[in-house]
Amino acid sequence: MDGDGIDPAALPRRGPVYRELASAGARFVELRGGAVAESFAADAGTETRAARRLALADLSLLPCLGFRGREAVDWLRRQGVDVGDRNNRAYRQPDGALAARMAPGEALLFGDVADESDLCERLADAASIDEEVEAFPVPWGDGYFRFLVSGKRAADMFAKVCGVDLRTDRFPPLDIARTSMARTSVAVVRDDLGDTPAYHVLGDVASASYLLACLRDAMEEFDGALAGLGAVRRLAGA
Amino acid sequence: MKILRCPLNGPRNVSEFAYGGEVVAMPDPAAASDAEWADHVFLEDNRRGVVREWWLHVATDYWFIAERDTATDEIVRTCPASEVFAERVSFAAPDDEGGRA
Amino acid sequence: MTGVNRLPAPAGSLIDRSRTRTFRFEGRPVDGFAGDTIASALAANDVWVLSRSFKYRRPRGALTMAGQDANALVQLPGRPNVPADVEPVADGLDVRGQNYDGSLMRDRGAWIGRLRRFLPVGFYYKAFYKPRGAWRLWAPLIRRRAGLGRVDAAAPRGRFDKAYLFCDVLAVGGGPAGMSAALAAAEAGAEVILVDENPVLGGALNYARFDAAGAAAARERRRLVDAVAARDGIEAMTDTIANGWFADNFVALIRGNRMFKVRAKEVVLATGAMEQPLVFRNNDLPRVMMGSAAQRLIRLYGVRPGTRAVVATANDDGYGVALDLADAGVRVAAVADLRPEPGGGGMAAAAEARGIRIETGHTVSSAIPGAGGRSVRGAVLSRIEGRGVCRGGETVDCDLVCMSVGYAPAAQLACHDGGRLAMDEGTATFVPRDLPAHGRAAGSVNGTHALDAVLAEGARAGWRAAAALGLDAGAGPAVPEAGGADDRNHDWPLFPHDDGKDFVDFDEDLQVRDILNACADGFDDIELAKRYTTVGMGPSQGRHSALNALRLVHRATGRPLADAAPTTVRPPYAAETFGVLAGRHFEPVRHTPMHHRHLEAGARMMVAGDWLRPSFYGAPHDRERRVLEEVRAVRGGVGMLDVSTLGGIEVRGPDAAEFLDRMYTFTYARQPVGRGRYLMMCDETGVIVDDGVTCRFHERHFYVTTTSSGASSVYREMLWWNAQWRLAVDISDVTGAYAAISLAGPWARKVLDPLTDGIELSLAAFPYMAVRTGRVAGIPARLLRIGFVGELGFELHVPASQGEALWDALMSAGEPCGIRPFGLEAQRVLRLEKGHIIIGQDTDDLTYPAEADMTWAISRKKPFFVGGRANRVHESRPLRRKLVGFAIRDPEAPVPEECHLTLRGNDIAGRVTSVARSEALGCVVGLAYVAPEQAVTGATFPIKVGPRRFLEAEVAPLPFYDPDNRRQEM
Repeated sequence: MDGDGIDPAALPRRGPVYRELASAGARFVELRGGAVAESFAADAGTETRAARRLALADLSLLPCLGFRGREAVDWLRRQGVDVGDRNNRAYRQPDGALAARMAPGEALLFGDVADESDLCERLADAASIDEEVEAFPVPWGDGYFRFLVSGKRAADMFAKVCGVDLRTDRFPPLDIARTSMARTSVAVVRDDLGDTPAYHVLGDVASASYLLACLRDAMEEFDGALAGLGAVRRLAGA
Repeated sequence: MKILRCPLNGPRNVSEFAYGGEVVAMPDPAAASDAEWADHVFLEDNRRGVVREWWLHVATDYWFIAERDTATDEIVRTCPASEVFAERVSFAAPDDEGGRA
Repeated sequence: MTGVNRLPAPAGSLIDRSRTRTFRFEGRPVDGFAGDTIASALAANDVWVLSRSFKYRRPRGALTMAGQDANALVQLPGRPNVPADVEPVADGLDVRGQNYDGSLMRDRGAWIGRLRRFLPVGFYYKAFYKPRGAWRLWAPLIRRRAGLGRVDAAAPRGRFDKAYLFCDVLAVGGGPAGMSAALAAAEAGAEVILVDENPVLGGALNYARFDAAGAAAARERRRLVDAVAARDGIEAMTDTIANGWFADNFVALIRGNRMFKVRAKEVVLATGAMEQPLVFRNNDLPRVMMGSAAQRLIRLYGVRPGTRAVVATANDDGYGVALDLADAGVRVAAVADLRPEPGGGGMAAAAEARGIRIETGHTVSSAIPGAGGRSVRGAVLSRIEGRGVCRGGETVDCDLVCMSVGYAPAAQLACHDGGRLAMDEGTATFVPRDLPAHGRAAGSVNGTHALDAVLAEGARAGWRAAAALGLDAGAGPAVPEAGGADDRNHDWPLFPHDDGKDFVDFDEDLQVRDILNACADGFDDIELAKRYTTVGMGPSQGRHSALNALRLVHRATGRPLADAAPTTVRPPYAAETFGVLAGRHFEPVRHTPMHHRHLEAGARMMVAGDWLRPSFYGAPHDRERRVLEEVRAVRGGVGMLDVSTLGGIEVRGPDAAEFLDRMYTFTYARQPVGRGRYLMMCDETGVIVDDGVTCRFHERHFYVTTTSSGASSVYREMLWWNAQWRLAVDISDVTGAYAAISLAGPWARKVLDPLTDGIELSLAAFPYMAVRTGRVAGIPARLLRIGFVGELGFELHVPASQGEALWDALMSAGEPCGIRPFGLEAQRVLRLEKGHIIIGQDTDDLTYPAEADMTWAISRKKPFFVGGRANRVHESRPLRRKLVGFAIRDPEAPVPEECHLTLRGNDIAGRVTSVARSEALGCVVGLAYVAPEQAVTGATFPIKVGPRRFLEAEVAPLPFYDPDNRRQEM
């Protein structure tokens, strides 16, 4: 581990692929009781350029929370969340968080890359089984990994592992596709970073290592790289 | 590869789905004879023509119903299961008459 | 300049004369140019024999120069059966011919050709099948002789890949029809992919002659290629083969080592046509070739195909060939036109004006072989006197015979998804019919050959595709709906010779009489004749034999050709490698959050369903000792097992208990909050399919565990049932969200106690089967006071992201107690000692609860549960087998294995399902199915442990270990 970074194993929350990131040269910073890869390249410019071309960042430790149940969507609305009216569509909240409407009785909330939103914590606190309402939290923050794949070549890379057309002119921002990627089930949420196309890929945390290996292999052809949260934030702010 | 239109996720390759058998009405477990029950559990009609089938979109674990022509393999229509199963199903106690309400 | 036959530029549009490529053929160095194919470079150097034929070992050379025939298949290192006429040359390539012994030029096996008369079709079956079993002896000898290239099992692994592509319109074929279709569709705003198997677009415009002056093709090609390049929205893919057209316009494209899986909304099939051979004696000699092959050699590769040529033709294209040959400096000795009169096209007149001798009403009836049959030295021109009959003849000296007698559509793809080929008797050609709903054909694949008509038909197909997409495509090109199908096929281009060698199928060395004999033997339908003679079954898949074989069969059986349908065409269109089909290797595997801790501790991992789980910790050779140590740690101290793989399902809502009552066999409505309860699930046939524990954390909240392998199927089954029942319950699979550790052993409480904050762990406060929530080592946790291994135990379920931290905390806290992680092998021994069954190991797809002695887990008071009704049927019938515990107390006896049979008398009673040597019990114990009468404690039954080897096992009560459950409830 680099001298100026922290050791992920020293913190209680650990990302599903922290070892892979560490062996790729990640420099970690602490975030919400866990270690997030902040950067890989020696200089920020290189990493930002990679993220514009094709890069993958692991955001698994950023907040994420699911709600399920027949009244989940109504309950979220009552909590002031904009859950829109279409399934398989994400809605941006004023604080930057996303509310992803997955199915009639299912929504997924996840925090912004700047990690300024407290929506997930607020809703986790608000939900209670004692309330007689059919809206139940699901700990997808732990159950799902969350990779952010960014760059102009992202769709070309996805075409090698996924049968859904994710090209930018066919898959608009904030659309969601739940599909199979390299034979594992994932949800893909388009969420551009400024003018750079970007996609959250969420799936079973136990398959994170497997899918990361598949994606890195598929990315090789396009000179893809790993990126840290720093590059993601720079692009998002750009 | 065939395309199947999932009512929740739209048109997808059929490899994203799993087949769940024909949609059949369950006989009343309290009233059915052993033979009727065995027929229900073990036998399928295997009819030629349009049949209703269960399909699962695996990535979302979403069950829905497809009407498929078994002769041409044409998917005539797909719909959410709630279109066919709209009401809460209850079972009567074993000693009661009537079975499913 | 490389090669004596090389023509000066501009001939040779594909070759780059500035770059020489040197390869080896049959061990000798050959020079070619970049852009040459193996066959063209060899031809330039006057090497024409590429391989020998499959059966008679006759020397063969390129027939089509289009990768369509088996004559040109050669051997490369690690790659057999490579079509030399399309495979590019590369420096250092080591190329060899196929099907010979000794040398390609002097094959020691060529004597077989002289036995031709005695090797009729069906010969193998007739000669080698008697006496019974003889074929088994003959087959390897025959197959060694008759075979294609050699597979090299040691060939280096390639890197293969696949990718999806999406488009509005896929135009297959980059000739004039395909390009004009692509342009029309793209002009209307469609996103188009245009594919062609050749290195450049243009199709026949690259090599064929469309007018007397010989300028039209190049002009049109330039216009179209420039327009395609300039047009946004067309992605042109060359060197790309469309190899299969599957349901809903799913088309497989292959380019190099990559397969593209294209989903097109509309498909335009513009694959062109394949020129067909003339059947005459010695029509298989090297340098008897299609007219289009000669044109390809000239125009694409700048190779003069001969010095003195005879052209046999039945259409104006043959005159174009003659003109091209003349332009290339080949002396055209004669054109034999099978028609009584030449057509009205300008090319015949031009040929005549060039002084070329034209013999109408004539055919080539025989080619005269040169030395060793490796070349042609003359052709016999004969007057046609009737259908397939010709007489007399004049021998004309030549070293090249070109055939231009007709075409068959390259419509293989059209037949992959329901289309078919029909015979159009008027034009004596096949035409594609019943194309898939969103597909259409254009150009010569459709029987349209005249260039203007081809361009118009292509444009119309592209326009119609765009219109079908709902694009504003304008009024559409004003051309007739049906293209101008024209008359280029001779209706009977077969001139059988009394002495044979009149080949119908070059791949399989089939002559006219082979087909006729098959009909005479009673195989009088093309489907039957195909199987009997193997016509069309070789590498070229009937590209040049299907039409002629069909003609012969129909004539022999007196049926009109109009009824003829060729044999079924199936994917792939061209040969494809397994590597391309396999692509990259996607084998999903799931890791628990503690996966790397196991590896660091030296675990041997095993595949369990989708998961990798520790089998035991230690070196493989040390397995037995390590497993025993792990077992001892749990029995005598404390151990921990990663059980994150257990399924976890949240069942929440007002109907949660009602739902579980329906899904599982027990009752849950009155299960107290804070308690766990055993779960057993049956399917509708009453068979046990899963088990687990449910924890009630709230009136409306149950947390259900499932077996590791059952999680996803149980979850789906739950969702499926509730899609019908519509109960007010939410079911969420949270398997991956929780890491879980089973902490077990007499010191488990001692390890856990300092880590828990505010959870009283004493037996009184936290009794067996109780469940709690709280914090362990600061981590929010669900604590389950349950045990599978028969000792004091806690199952701790925590958020997955903190599973590793919990593991670390327990390892440190347990260090003073000598805590050890244990693996599945130890767990299997421990649970067996305790008599717990594993679903799927100790049960099978027919095991119902009474057989496994599990009826205690069935509630009789519920109105319904899945499998309940079926179990009533099972229970009303006599039990046929029963699962019992057994012990083998003789320390010298062999240890039976799982699936060894148990016997009752001479009958099979059942099988051993689990077995282990137990240190705690001092004997071998196991579980086995036996006959119900044998299931009496203390009775013995035989287990068959090998051929004529049996041992006696004694039925023992379960659990074997700690029958009073004192240890797990301490």
